[in-house]
Amino acid sequence: MSNLELGFWSFPVLLVMIFLRAPIGLAMLLCGFGGWYLAMGGNPTPLLAKLKSETYTTFSSYSLTIIPLFLLMGQFATLSGMSQALFRAAESFLGHRRGGVAMAAVGACAGFGAICGSSLATAATMSKVALPELKRYGYSGGFSTATLAAGGTLGILIPPSVILVIYAILTEQNIAKLFLAAFIPGILAALGYVLTISIYVRLYPDAAGTRAPVPMAERFAALGKTWPVMAIFVLVVGGIYLGWFTPTEAAAIGAAATGLVALVSRSLGWSVLKQSLIGTARTTAMIFFIVLGAGFYNGFLALSGVPQFMADWVVGQGLSPWLVLVIILVFYLIFGCLMDSLSMILLTVPIFFPVISAMDFGMSAEHVAIWFGILVLIVVEVGLITPPVGMNLFIINSMDRDTPMKETYKTVMFFVASDIVRVALLVAFPAITLFLLR
Amino acid sequence: QDVTLRMHQFLPDQANVPKLVLYPWADRIEAASNGRIKIERYGSMQLGGSPPELMDQAIDGVADIVWTVVGYTPGRYPTTEVLELPFMMTDARAMSSAYWQMFEKYMKDGEFKDVKILGTWVHGPGMLHSKDPVTKPGDMEGLKIRGGSRLVNELLKELGATPVGLPVPGIPEALSKGVIDGTTIPWEVTGSLKVPELVKNHTEFEGAALYTLGFVLAMNKDRYDSLDPELQKIIDDNSGLEFSILAGGTQADSDGPSRQAAVDAGNNIITVSGDDVQAWKDASQPIYDGWIADMETKGIDGQALIDEARALMDAYGQ
Amino acid sequence: MHRLIRMLARATALIGGAVLLALITMTTLSIIGRSINKFFHADFFDAQLTGLSQFVLGLGVGEINGNYELLEAGVAFAIFAFLPICQFYGAHASVDVFTAAFPKRLNNWIIAFWEVVLAAVILLVIWRLYGGLERYLRNGETTLFLQFPVWWAYAASFSAGVIACIVAVYCAGARIVEAARGVVILPSEHGEH
Ligand code: NA
Ligand code: NA
Repeated sequence: MSNLELGFWSFPVLLVMIFLRAPIGLAMLLCGFGGWYLAMGGNPTPLLAKLKSETYTTFSSYSLTIIPLFLLMGQFATLSGMSQALFRAAESFLGHRRGGVAMAAVGACAGFGAICGSSLATAATMSKVALPELKRYGYSGGFSTATLAAGGTLGILIPPSVILVIYAILTEQNIAKLFLAAFIPGILAALGYVLTISIYVRLYPDAAGTRAPVPMAERFAALGKTWPVMAIFVLVVGGIYLGWFTPTEAAAIGAAATGLVALVSRSLGWSVLKQSLIGTARTTAMIFFIVLGAGFYNGFLALSGVPQFMADWVVGQGLSPWLVLVIILVFYLIFGCLMDSLSMILLTVPIFFPVISAMDFGMSAEHVAIWFGILVLIVVEVGLITPPVGMNLFIINSMDRDTPMKETYKTVMFFVASDIVRVALLVAFPAITLFLLR
Repeated sequence: QDVTLRMHQFLPDQANVPKLVLYPWADRIEAASNGRIKIERYGSMQLGGSPPELMDQAIDGVADIVWTVVGYTPGRYPTTEVLELPFMMTDARAMSSAYWQMFEKYMKDGEFKDVKILGTWVHGPGMLHSKDPVTKPGDMEGLKIRGGSRLVNELLKELGATPVGLPVPGIPEALSKGVIDGTTIPWEVTGSLKVPELVKNHTEFEGAALYTLGFVLAMNKDRYDSLDPELQKIIDDNSGLEFSILAGGTQADSDGPSRQAAVDAGNNIITVSGDDVQAWKDASQPIYDGWIADMETKGIDGQALIDEARALMDAYGQ
Repeated sequence: MHRLIRMLARATALIGGAVLLALITMTTLSIIGRSINKFFHADFFDAQLTGLSQFVLGLGVGEINGNYELLEAGVAFAIFAFLPICQFYGAHASVDVFTAAFPKRLNNWIIAFWEVVLAAVILLVIWRLYGGLERYLRNGETTLFLQFPVWWAYAASFSAGVIACIVAVYCAGARIVEAARGVVILPSEHGEH
């Protein structure tokens, strides 16, 4: 069998393993091992030699060190009472409108997303604060859980974002520019969700109750209490953009600052610190195990020549670049129903990125790379809220046992629709994404 | 016997070294063998791992041929540092020639005994690009400079500057954001990094260059031994002294257009010459002393290596 | 046995976490040092307050040089130290929609099967890491900046890796027992990110 055939055969093997419940990192690692072994003509020596240093260099890669730091920052942020302050502030401004408490939850998610690089952490943290309030004001179960699941995706759509870091490394793009490009689409996402909520409450007026407005002075007092979030966002994302520090340094400073806020707010005791370290540990190990597997698998794919072959083949078809792009995005949407976002990115970007790079969109190579990165980010994040496998749906459902999963599934489709409209907009008008880079 | 060899290196395919040195070399071999040897080219570390692992990838057969910077693995090839000493290299061709001859004499069966080395060369004059003009050693005080090698970093410290460790692609951002005040790098790569747009001063040295870096093109030993003698001969005919000189020369020649671009941009090109050079050389003397002492602990006569390298460079072209 | 392994996994994760906290502190101090250094190097201080600025700079206030090398080595150690807890909690990401249709018993065996494979792979990876440790011990390679021997970092990571092996083997055994007897021993929590 030629290496190219070997490369193509690895896809079905990998998918079968994943669908038979193999840990995703393990499945990629096994395919990578098998591929290297067979491509070397059945000689195990190069593979065994590669393993001597590649695990360590993957785990010690400077650009990846940002991941545990952002994760710990998110852990501290969940403890520091900032989610509470954000929700209070948003709620005091919006709560009296129809569907306003749900809008406030989205707004608070957006704020929290500005200091937390993870969707699930955002969804879980905001749910703790907002679910009881939504219930109190008579919001229906499915409406509440769907809102928070969708809001949670803002954790990754608004920078900082772990997924964008991975994309930046895979495609050798500048993290700071990707973060900057994600900003407007992230805000659009939040606005889109707010719009969705206002449409939803018009269609189903019974799904939400109302409450009296809060005096202006109280609103601004509540807003004032969110200053640590704003300060940390400016420090971290602003610091990266203005070049005060590298993204990794920014993550370290962000973690230190968030930890300090948690300490000052007296929510960071000894046992809580241990808990957040353990939480960081579990997620970090899970991510890096997938990254390790993807490294071996992607190295084998490059060796097999599959990405180059695919790129040449697609270009040879003479399809319109836009059609190719749309096909790829639809592929992500479908696969997103079944797989988690990080594995999808690690698995597919090395194959799709050369295809997209080989096509002419009338933009510079860097702009195409950044624009495509943001589009991919959004479509894989939609996967977090599409049934049947949507991690955000699962996590919120586990926090609200009274609401049947079916109710959540039904309502969340409104938010999925809003996401699809947004993707269509960003595809049609690349300038929206690239605006801040000019 | 038809063979396929995998060539792995860290630069993208369109960069100067792959485009002008490595891939033409591969083309020559493919042509000379009438297609019996095929060389697959993997740039940008596509096969995995990080640049410092390239040498081990060649030793272990993960890749068949690698191109790498010897200084990426500090401590493993101490003898090669002789050509990286500050104000040592006067001409890239001459130094590449000296490097190969010293490789055959001292390193082939020593430091490099685990691989088959196909070529050894250095890049053109390493120099300084800075925001503020630098003419004398004292101007370096307090500057944050990206250093190109271990010895350059030592020199920067000696001059009172702070060496900053950065990968080459990180230079433009670090310069534009003020993370560094300047960088050491040869002219060749300044164009793609947009250095002349980011700094306005470039300091060259008359005679010997501030520094240079040593490269090797290395092949897995077993793989080479497994080839038919005729195929080995094709590889040998395209490797060694002449190829090393050609490679070093090609890299140094790519300096010209980039330098011209900086001149056209109206940048300030400072050439340190005459007595001023001596001040720099004096300032770098501690690096020589330290290096010789360091070599002594490894049982190597550093001074003899320095003298020999100089003599071989002088002999080049005569 | 179970409690001992749990304690081992947690303690290792906490040591890794402590290293992470130390690295965060070091990086933060380095940036603060760099900023102060830049501030006192500014023209105003150079010209007007030479004495003060000389004094501050003389204290050696500035960037912690080569701190990124410590960060890299430390984070690598931390990740190896985080592997056991991830293993113990069954936190590796997997897709269970398709197997959801299978009977529970079969699912338990599937989980046990992959846990055994995972343990084997972790043993392989850590065994090869030891190969890397030996190689760097032999060839004397150092880091570029701080010039500490690379094998130090490998040794630290390897020691955490040994714990990962112990926990992985235990988890594989525990999952087999779970499948065979239909009992629950280990937690199964999908990881999050
Ligand atoms: Na975020
Ligand atoms: Na989904």
